[in-house]
Amino acid sequence: MLSGRGGSTIKTIFVQGGVPGFRLLFVLVLSAVLIVADARFDRLEPARSAIASVLAPVLWLGNAPDRFSNWFAGVITPREDLLSENEALKARLMILERRALKYGALAAENNRLRDLMNASATLDDRVVVAEVVGVSPDPFSHEVVINKGARDGVEAGQAILDANGLMGQVLYTAAFTSRVLLISDSSHAVPVEVLRNGLRAILLGNGDISQLELVHVPDTADIREGDVLVSSGLGGRFPKGYPVAEVSSIAKEPGAPFVTIHATPMARLSRSKLVLVVFSEAGTVVPEELYDQQPPGSSNGEAAAGPGDNGGEG
Amino acid sequence: MLSVISYPVMIVSVIISLVLSISLFPQGWFEFRPEWVTLMVFYWTYRAPSQFGILTAFVLGILLDVLEATPLGVNGLAMAVVAFLVLTVHQRLRMFPLIQQSILVFLLVGINQMVVHFIKHLLGGQTPGFEYLWPAATSAVLWLLLCPVLDKLNLKLG
Repeated sequence: MLSGRGGSTIKTIFVQGGVPGFRLLFVLVLSAVLIVADARFDRLEPARSAIASVLAPVLWLGNAPDRFSNWFAGVITPREDLLSENEALKARLMILERRALKYGALAAENNRLRDLMNASATLDDRVVVAEVVGVSPDPFSHEVVINKGARDGVEAGQAILDANGLMGQVLYTAAFTSRVLLISDSSHAVPVEVLRNGLRAILLGNGDISQLELVHVPDTADIREGDVLVSSGLGGRFPKGYPVAEVSSIAKEPGAPFVTIHATPMARLSRSKLVLVVFSEAGTVVPEELYDQQPPGSSNGEAAAGPGDNGGEG
Repeated sequence: MLSVISYPVMIVSVIISLVLSISLFPQGWFEFRPEWVTLMVFYWTYRAPSQFGILTAFVLGILLDVLEATPLGVNGLAMAVVAFLVLTVHQRLRMFPLIQQSILVFLLVGINQMVVHFIKHLLGGQTPGFEYLWPAATSAVLWLLLCPVLDKLNLKLG
């Protein structure tokens, strides 16, 4: 800066402000403090979400090419294709509606049976549909960005599903976007149980998008290839009963205390565009038109919503 | 050789680099994605050392940290190191032919990646192998194209 002002009469070629070594030292110390505060003590979440909200246009632009190609594909699709697709979707909707009707009756019956067993009625989880608007630029971390954030009531720790199964959990939220850690990330683990017999285990991600690892399963456990693993709800983070993965290979090594089990995730982790954010805690505020609550029966739905609202205020 | 710089070009190029660093890239080629923001830090520190220095690089790195969801400061530190190294050599850098500059780009982007991965390792990330150095190579190749284009824009608009 000083030399810059001196150079106002004679224009120097190499103007340079400050002492770079001192600035570098300052920045190094500042970065070290920031890294420790962020990674070890989680003190910078407000700052991070504020910056992320400012960067929302950048995220939007980063996703623009994909949106444009979608729009373009929509524009040039022939009318017949759209019509036939529409027909197929209507047929599918009817099948699903019929299934939902049957499911409503079953859910009501299930709740009555639970009442008989003196267990608390499980609320139907509310979900918000979100769209994947970005993926992590780091090839070693499996994260995606969705277009629902703190404004929509999303909080860190919520489970994310796609149409086929559990995808991951919310890591950070900004005002309009959230970052989701996928179950295949090497730092992620899900408590699961085998659907067939209720055997509990922990499913770890290992950095491979198409393969998960089931750990600490004893040699003698009853588990087979093709077994479906569903979230067990233990640990309180993921809602119970959503399909997570399917056992793809079991390797027993003589002498090793545990079996090596690999599983294929059910959710299409690298391909799903639309995802569901699950609000399993009652009382979370969600815009009325966004969530899709399926009341098992109208009276039952009322009864279920009542205690939830009270819990939110209390 | 280039005594004028254009602030609009600077701002727009930096924003574009941020967008590109999170924008779509073919899935299989993910690890070859050039380090756009580091390239911009390199170029602008080299061309405008009095306007674009360590602190600006640090701020850009913080923005990249938020975009990549790395702990705040990891990329900031690495960018500041790159800016500092460019500041120490920028006078010689102007004398170098483009190829030699691009070798230096490879070195500095490589240092940047190494710093980032070193800190991630300290924090418990597990990333085997040296594949993380690929962006340095692609960035070096990209420099051969990027530097003349930005120079031309600067001359025209500055």
